[in-house]
Amino acid sequence: MGKRITLPLLLAAAVAATTVGNVRAADSSNYQQLQKKYSVLKSQMQAMQQQMAHMQKQMAAQQKQMKAVQQAAPSINERATRRAIKRLSRQVMKLSEKEAALEPGNIQVLIAGDVNVQFQNKSGGNSTFYADSSPMIQVRIDKKIFVNTAFDFYTASGQAGGSAADIGAANINYELGDYMTVGGGLITSPIGGIVGNYNPAPWNRWLVDGSLEDNLLPPNELGIWTRGGIPAPDNLGYLTYFLFVSNGPEFIGTSGVPNQLSYDNFTANQNAKTVGGRISYLPIPNVEIGYSAEWASPTNSGALTKSDSWIQAVDFNSYYFNKKIEGFVKFRGGWTWEQVGQGGILPGNPTSPPAFGNNSNGGQIDVAYQPSMCGIKYLDKMMVAFRYDRTDGPVTGVQTSGAMHEQRYSVGLDYWLHSNAVLKFEYEFDNVPDQHGSDAMFMQFAVGI
Amino acid sequence: MKFKNISTIRTIVLVSLATAGLALMAGCSNNGSGSKPAAKKTAKTAAIWPLAIKDPAKTETGAQIWSENCMRCHQLRSPSQYTPAQWGVIVQYMRLKAGLTGEQARKVLAFLKSASAH
Repeated sequence: MGKRITLPLLLAAAVAATTVGNVRAADSSNYQQLQKKYSVLKSQMQAMQQQMAHMQKQMAAQQKQMKAVQQAAPSINERATRRAIKRLSRQVMKLSEKEAALEPGNIQVLIAGDVNVQFQNKSGGNSTFYADSSPMIQVRIDKKIFVNTAFDFYTASGQAGGSAADIGAANINYELGDYMTVGGGLITSPIGGIVGNYNPAPWNRWLVDGSLEDNLLPPNELGIWTRGGIPAPDNLGYLTYFLFVSNGPEFIGTSGVPNQLSYDNFTANQNAKTVGGRISYLPIPNVEIGYSAEWASPTNSGALTKSDSWIQAVDFNSYYFNKKIEGFVKFRGGWTWEQVGQGGILPGNPTSPPAFGNNSNGGQIDVAYQPSMCGIKYLDKMMVAFRYDRTDGPVTGVQTSGAMHEQRYSVGLDYWLHSNAVLKFEYEFDNVPDQHGSDAMFMQFAVGI
Repeated sequence: MKFKNISTIRTIVLVSLATAGLALMAGCSNNGSGSKPAAKKTAKTAAIWPLAIKDPAKTETGAQIWSENCMRCHQLRSPSQYTPAQWGVIVQYMRLKAGLTGEQARKVLAFLKSASAH
């Protein structure tokens, strides 16, 4: 019984063992195949992943390109539009200029100038009334050409019933560009700047009487010039310039003796010419510092050979406007050096006058204050002004007209009826060494047209 | 003040004036017209030319230029004192006297014309 049972059991066990072994063998071969498949699939997947990453990169790059193109497209259009607008604007400007030139009345004429009436009383002299009218005719031919003519009609003080007329300007100016104008004719001399020969009109002067420095400076130049303003490098303010060549001055005098240099010379005497100019610097718009100089070789109609005339001047002009001082304060000043060399005697004329020599200088300081923001009726239209000026006459040689040494202190009170109409009162204290100075009192009503 | 050697001083000043004149003319010829394109041109010339023009007036208003510059020499005239056409003449004259640049003058004129008309 036991044997019968054991055998089948053994057989079953053997079969089972064989089956299990077969199954195990089959499993292992499947596993290997699966592994192979898996590794193939894995490598395929890795390849695909790489491919996909590459494609993603390509897409990103394409998207970037697309964006750049999209961004660039409008700016390209914008630029083209701007260019087109500019072209169109230029065409419109040209056409409107042509149209304006064809319209009647495109030449604009303006009558300007000033008129003043004054009363003066100098110690040692007679008191007198005085009147002066200086009309200007200004013509704007077009935006480049400008013509200016100025006259001066005045009562000749000291001459009974006398009156006089003068021409102050007759010039044509042509604008070469934004920074340069050229011109020719008769013009106020730039020497000395505003304190001297830009020579503010009476309505624009703080004091009635001119300064002693004015006497040293040439009033006009008759010639050609170039002038303009130009920004200083690096935005450091502005520069202005005025360069000219004009008719030279001449010696004049009394009884054949030359004792004065005259700049009222409308003809170039023996080809003598003056060369000069003024440059100024404005670090800020309310401050101007100027330097001017001119050289000439004056002579006279027969007695003297040519000599040297040399003038240099510095000038300063500024204002300060602030609520803290309830208005504005203005400062002006200048100094002029004038030297005239020795004139020789013409050959073959031993009886001619002696050599002429003259060294002069003079200057001034002006201060004015107007409490235009004080808000007090009448007071806000008042201006007080003060000036110190002096001149030192020739040190050697023949003396020019006027005192050798003179200094003055002037105080003034102005009342501005309008920005171009002023009533002025001035008292001038005059000092001349070893002499009684001529103190003077002035009253003036001046209007700018 | 005395000058010992007038011809030396004369020569120095004349040469200085001539140099200044030539420099300014060159500056003008480089940039003479304000309507020229110029930022690029200005930047280029700035490197080689000390007077390369960069006009501050481009950023200033006409009213500002008018008030700051005119008051230096005279009382401010009200824009209503003259017609726009008259201002055209006056500004052309004052540009010469005050040494304004073309840009400054144009801005001042535009301001005065506009203020005068209102």
